[in-house]
Amino acid sequence: MILTTTESVPGRTIRETIGLVRGSTVRAAHAGTDAQAWLKNLVGGEIEEYTKLLAEAREQALDRLEAEARARGADAVVGLHFSSCEIATGAAEFLVYGTAVKLAPRSS
Amino acid sequence: MSEREPTQDELLAMAYADGELAPDERARFEERLRSEPALAREVAELRRLELLARHAAPAEPMDHEWERLARSTGQRGLWRAGWLSFGAGLLGLGAWGLTCLESSQASWVPKLLVPLAILGALLLVGAAVRARARTLRYDPYRDVKR
Repeated sequence: MILTTTESVPGRTIRETIGLVRGSTVRAAHAGTDAQAWLKNLVGGEIEEYTKLLAEAREQALDRLEAEARARGADAVVGLHFSSCEIATGAAEFLVYGTAVKLAPRSS
Repeated sequence: MSEREPTQDELLAMAYADGELAPDERARFEERLRSEPALAREVAELRRLELLARHAAPAEPMDHEWERLARSTGQRGLWRAGWLSFGAGLLGLGAWGLTCLESSQASWVPKLLVPLAILGALLLVGAAVRARARTLRYDPYRDVKR
């Protein structure tokens, strides 16, 4: 499955637009992680507990988008967008959306 | 490296994790996933490995220092002592509060309701921990680092 932020797939022709596909998730860190992150917030630098949390949410949302695109028979998702916001303290919401398309066979 | 040939179920799980099953095959496999926890764990493990491969990126210079810190007895001791003191203090405060309430002139209403509320909170936390512990092994994203 090709996932791309561009509006087309270079070298390939879009044969059919299937429609919007998306994946989202909200993941939280446990209280111990939050406490450690809060302590690191006092002294500065990267809070890798939250870097990890955001990365987990990003990958899960991407996998959900890909699963939906696959279920709808897509070959690729173009115009991929990422969006993140905070619903609750210590939780990361990640939304990924794009347009599922079918590609024409490669011309030999 | 194992020389064993993959079983039919392992091959099916790989094809499912890679999205290579036809719709009807996928539906049948998902039906099996609902009733066969071992198969669901196999799929979760395959997804976890795929995620690890997806993130095979060079280490950053700071990573080595974090690893040294994680191995350092002094640093581990500081965290451990901090958490132990904090936990023991909280437990002690709770016990002291309950004792004060019990020996106070307050009516039986708060004497009954406060411990009940604490018990309820502990049961709710226990339920959340139990749910997380039961689903953790199916969560392939737990090893994603950044």
